[in-house]
Amino acid sequence: MTDKRILFFLLAALLLVPTWAHAMSGREIFEKMHELRLRMLNQKTEATMVLYDRGGGKRVRTLTQYSKNAAPEAYKVLLIFNSPADLKNVGFLAHARTFSDRSLWAYFPEFKRIRRIPTSAQDDSFFGSDFSYDDFSGPPNLDDYAFKVLREETIDDKPCYVVEVTPKIPRKYSKYIAWVAKNLWVSAKVEFYREKELYRLGRFRDIRLVDGLPTPFILEMQNIKSKHRTVVTVDKITYRTSFPDDLFTQRALERGGR
Amino acid sequence: MKKLWMAAVVLIFWASGSYAEDFLSVSGKLHLRGVVPLHSESVTEYPSLLGQLKVDTKPSPLRFHMWLEGGWDGSVTLPVEDHSTLKFGDRVYQSTTPFLEFKELYGSYSTDWLEVRAGIQRFAWGRLDEYPVNDLLNPWDYSQFLRKPLEDRKIGVPSLSTRLSHDTWSLDAVWVPVFIPYRLPLSTERWSPFNQMVARFNNLPVNFLTSDADLPSRNLASGSGGLRLSKTGIVDWNINLFHGYDPRPVMKATQLIIAPVAGQVAVEPGTVADFHKMSSFGVDAAFVTGPWSLRAEAAYAIGRYFNTNLERWGYPAVPAFGVYPLAPNEHKSDSLEYGVGADYRVFEDCLLTMQAQQTVILDRPDSLYQQKFETIFWANLRNGFLNQRILTNLNAAYNPEHGGVMARANVWYVLSDFWKVGIAAVGFWGPDQSLFGRYKTNDQVEVDLVFSW
Repeated sequence: MTDKRILFFLLAALLLVPTWAHAMSGREIFEKMHELRLRMLNQKTEATMVLYDRGGGKRVRTLTQYSKNAAPEAYKVLLIFNSPADLKNVGFLAHARTFSDRSLWAYFPEFKRIRRIPTSAQDDSFFGSDFSYDDFSGPPNLDDYAFKVLREETIDDKPCYVVEVTPKIPRKYSKYIAWVAKNLWVSAKVEFYREKELYRLGRFRDIRLVDGLPTPFILEMQNIKSKHRTVVTVDKITYRTSFPDDLFTQRALERGGR
Repeated sequence: MKKLWMAAVVLIFWASGSYAEDFLSVSGKLHLRGVVPLHSESVTEYPSLLGQLKVDTKPSPLRFHMWLEGGWDGSVTLPVEDHSTLKFGDRVYQSTTPFLEFKELYGSYSTDWLEVRAGIQRFAWGRLDEYPVNDLLNPWDYSQFLRKPLEDRKIGVPSLSTRLSHDTWSLDAVWVPVFIPYRLPLSTERWSPFNQMVARFNNLPVNFLTSDADLPSRNLASGSGGLRLSKTGIVDWNINLFHGYDPRPVMKATQLIIAPVAGQVAVEPGTVADFHKMSSFGVDAAFVTGPWSLRAEAAYAIGRYFNTNLERWGYPAVPAFGVYPLAPNEHKSDSLEYGVGADYRVFEDCLLTMQAQQTVILDRPDSLYQQKFETIFWANLRNGFLNQRILTNLNAAYNPEHGGVMARANVWYVLSDFWKVGIAAVGFWGPDQSLFGRYKTNDQVEVDLVFSW
């Protein structure tokens, strides 16, 4: 009888394991992502950004991004365009004191002036691309969002949680749905909605482990209405960097980085 | 000395080609521009071709930066004294067809807390877009005034600058040991503010003679300097101090000479550029609130010179051959200038920028053309279409005291990463002496083709 009970509990436990996994809440999934993104913050990335027109025309930009985990504050990000000539040394600086309180600046060498960017512009086009300023910043404040697991799905051979994320603060999207790769804790796909209309679609492919951190090497964002899309290809990424605070200042922004 | 400079230019071109891959970053631009004047009586301009070469060493504590500009700027070739191709900032009136000029050429050394730069530099102090009142270290090139963006107008000055940084604080100190004058167009060039004087003699085949100014001696006493203390945070703010020559032009009236010379009427208008030292103390700040990005600045200038109303300079109502002594036409006063600017993103790729600024002449006599309060409102609407493949810009300015208006519109189409083409139109309205009205015969359409690499 005792053996039967043990067997029963073991069977029940085995049956419940996937149920527990599936029962992982949206918040917990995003906490895992947040944890990973914090570990990814100390990095330098060299990337190529290609803007594809509806008609097939393309424009190519190269950029360097530096970021650091700025604990006890949140993070700092500096991004500098290296080409084309028109955009060379145009830069973007983000200083997040907390994950919900950040200052953004842009530098335009043509005018030799740094301009502050209101946080309300964080969902606007990032220098003409289909990505937003927010896409190039650090992790968000999870308390500003509500999460709901919709289902599970497999994308690019990766089993994913499909999570609906609804902002509690004013954003230019009303919600987004993220396909979060299980055990990797990176998004494989994201759909942004305004009301019920899908307006931006992101795909993140070629996920490789770099220093043990799963990293998408191809990031694509498409504007559904204009059929314009932007593809960012990571050319080189280095984690575990330890850049000085001096790199994330307005002075460095004007100098074009290091 | 000039041969040495030319040799340096050749060496830089050679080095930029030979070693670009290893440690230099090189970029450049070719800009072809044609102007269609909309007033038949206005001065014409030839098509211009300007080139730009920027060379930077790869990031390291020791850096080198060069920004060389040159070409044919389209102003009508005139017999001016200075025909040297390489410009040194030693003349008020210069021939720029052709020309070569270092907009910037400096070396720098930096550590985590210190940066020292030496060479030809341009600075951008203050926050306003068109007339930053604390931006006094670089004189301006007025030869195509109001057509050129602010940064293109600035003339690089040989200088030594340092920046000390600590946390969110920084302190900039700039010393400009050599006096560099502002640059003016000749009275017969398209963008001369004294075109109305030409109009006074337009019934006669006149030959205008221009006298270059006696510049202040090039010694240490003629230098300028500035200090700027900065703090970044929720509000970015700065305190600025400047002492040196006023970079804004003021003209000294001497005597008008009208004489017959070789079948023509030679006219010496009797105005020479004048230079005066002044001091300025100012503050500026920038911050964001809601969807607005706001900035403001103010400066109190001690001992600034202003020109009196042109009607009081003593020009004869009916010009005839002779010598006419002109009346003193400068007035010294303290002034307070301040302004606010705001950026608002109307939608995704559409930015509205507004600015209001005011100058208060504290001791204003009736002889000045400027009112005690002079105000300018600016508005700019920049819009990008098709992910910035098409860029449009609408710009308007209004000076309520004199009813002067400037309106400008341009469209750029980005053909590729290398080529873009643009068309622009600009118009001016207002009384002859007002900031915008003095250019009212300069309404024009221009077409631009740019190749950058």
